[in-house]
Amino acid sequence: MKKKYARKPQFQSPVTYRPVGVTETGLAFVGHEISPQDNLINQFLHYDQLYTIRQGRNSPFFLGLLEGKIRGTRCPQCGDLWVPPRIHCWNLDCNLKETEWVDVPPTARLHTWTVAGWSGRSSLKRLPIVLVYAVFTGSNVAIANELRGVDPWHVEFDMPLTATFIPPGERKGIITDFYFVPQKDWKPSSMNPEKERIKKLVQPVYDWVKTLK
Amino acid sequence: MTRKVCIIGGATTPFDYGATGFESIEGGAAACVKETMEDIPEFRLRDIDLMVYSHFSVHFGHQLSSEWIIHDHLGLVGIPHYRVENGGNTGGSALYAAALAVLSGQHDVVGVIGWETMDSVSQSQGSEFIALASDTRYELLVGGIYPIYYAAMAHKWMKENKVTEEDVAHIAVKNRNNAMDNPKAQWYRNEHRYLTIDDVLSSRLISYPLKKYDCCLMTRGVAFVLVCSEDYARKVNPPQGYVTIDGMGLSSCTIRAGDRLTFPGWTERYGPGYPDMTEFAACRHSAEKAYKMANITNPLRDIHVGEIHDAFSTSEAQIYKALGITGDDVAMFLRDKQTHLEGELPMNPGGGLMGYGHPVGATGIMSTVECFYQLTDMIPRKHESSKTQVPDAECGLVNSHAGTGTSISNFILRRA
Repeated sequence: MKKKYARKPQFQSPVTYRPVGVTETGLAFVGHEISPQDNLINQFLHYDQLYTIRQGRNSPFFLGLLEGKIRGTRCPQCGDLWVPPRIHCWNLDCNLKETEWVDVPPTARLHTWTVAGWSGRSSLKRLPIVLVYAVFTGSNVAIANELRGVDPWHVEFDMPLTATFIPPGERKGIITDFYFVPQKDWKPSSMNPEKERIKKLVQPVYDWVKTLK
Repeated sequence: MTRKVCIIGGATTPFDYGATGFESIEGGAAACVKETMEDIPEFRLRDIDLMVYSHFSVHFGHQLSSEWIIHDHLGLVGIPHYRVENGGNTGGSALYAAALAVLSGQHDVVGVIGWETMDSVSQSQGSEFIALASDTRYELLVGGIYPIYYAAMAHKWMKENKVTEEDVAHIAVKNRNNAMDNPKAQWYRNEHRYLTIDDVLSSRLISYPLKKYDCCLMTRGVAFVLVCSEDYARKVNPPQGYVTIDGMGLSSCTIRAGDRLTFPGWTERYGPGYPDMTEFAACRHSAEKAYKMANITNPLRDIHVGEIHDAFSTSEAQIYKALGITGDDVAMFLRDKQTHLEGELPMNPGGGLMGYGHPVGATGIMSTVECFYQLTDMIPRKHESSKTQVPDAECGLVNSHAGTGTSISNFILRRA
């Protein structure tokens, strides 16, 4: 028998949630247009490909998401803690010390935020989106994610947040398996000129999204 | 620098998007080189001994190693070539590589060609392609496009620096209206109108505090710049003169902006709490290196013109601060219009990314070419009039910027 020199992980059958109509068509020229006056041609090329993203030693974070848990890492040498995780310490004096995984409580504080009225093709229908950078309790870094459960104009710096998971059956082991909501006892301050300004900018976005197919 | 590195010429194609942009990449590259040859009659293609190519995303052209198409099209087989990619700072990084090549003594005449064909896909798909340069595992799905990350960073920065939407709208207006004197600029070629503060404030929300006109353009374009030793510059003796790269710096920061609150590498350089998510530490750091090399002690006084990376009106303002030209009261600095044409240090008289355009791989090269034109008094010839020529500019700054401030370069050019 041939000796194996590398370990081969045994993956279970893949869980798939491929939307209807998503196919890998490979390379295909699907049309063209001609400008006879200028003697020009434009050609239309379609290309789609399935990627396998191998999370390797970052996997506990994404496995944690499937389980409804926020996991970070901590350097056993200097004690720095990260969500999102780093699998080796960032401190040059720790010489790429391998970090250890820790469960992190779902509480966080809003560091900065924005409300998006435009996004990439796959996110347009979710607009307007409140994007926050929030610091999980004890973390040295801020993590980006969506904030729900509050009108965009009422979002405030430093507000307390809780990470909330989507239902287990809908989770994919990706960052959007959770989102933030305001902590229960938090109440927004009253309207002010800046809140009025944001409300005025956001209102047309709600109307525009309704027109999307 | 022990051996002087010079820039003797350069050119861009017209910058376009969609219907008006139809040229192939090798057609655009050849047009840029030919225009440069007209400006420097003694320059010959066979003098080039290295080509550095500056291109960001193969997604846009659906062509890997597209520099190979350009290179042999120019007839340069046998001449060494490689491509530099460093996000939005691809152009600045390619210029850095070219300057190092000359500085080392290994090469004498280095051509740098940058390009991007961002109109190959829809605008929203293009935005998503660019966002692939954010951390796709942790950020792409929640943000989706770069302006959202920039908006979150700018929102906090503006609060802390008491800078208003109107303050930064003046930058958007400045750059687009400067572009109205520049026939190669995308704003000139497409929308072609003078913009007002109200236009910016009432344009559609992209991501608060950014509106449509606070954001740069997506572009199809090619740019070329010719970098060489001083011996070669003297030999070809360009009629318009040449410039020297007296200082240069390149620095880096985190890919995820949220990782900057307590990063040890910054804490040990600048103390705790810096840069947070608000300041462009890599800009400050690379500028400090460039200033030191070029003996710049007071940048606001010593530098006469700048072409900088205004991906957003807010980021141009943040860059001013990182360059050390604002003093403590950033808002007052903006309100004094110090970077307008009539100000102390005009920034982006060529239109910048908001007016000229932002074909990523070509952008830093375009900024270099515009700065070169300023320092050699070529603006009246290259633009529509002398309106955007900064009079008697002897020293210029080129700034190129990537990610959420993840890689930033700064160059100090001086009229030789």
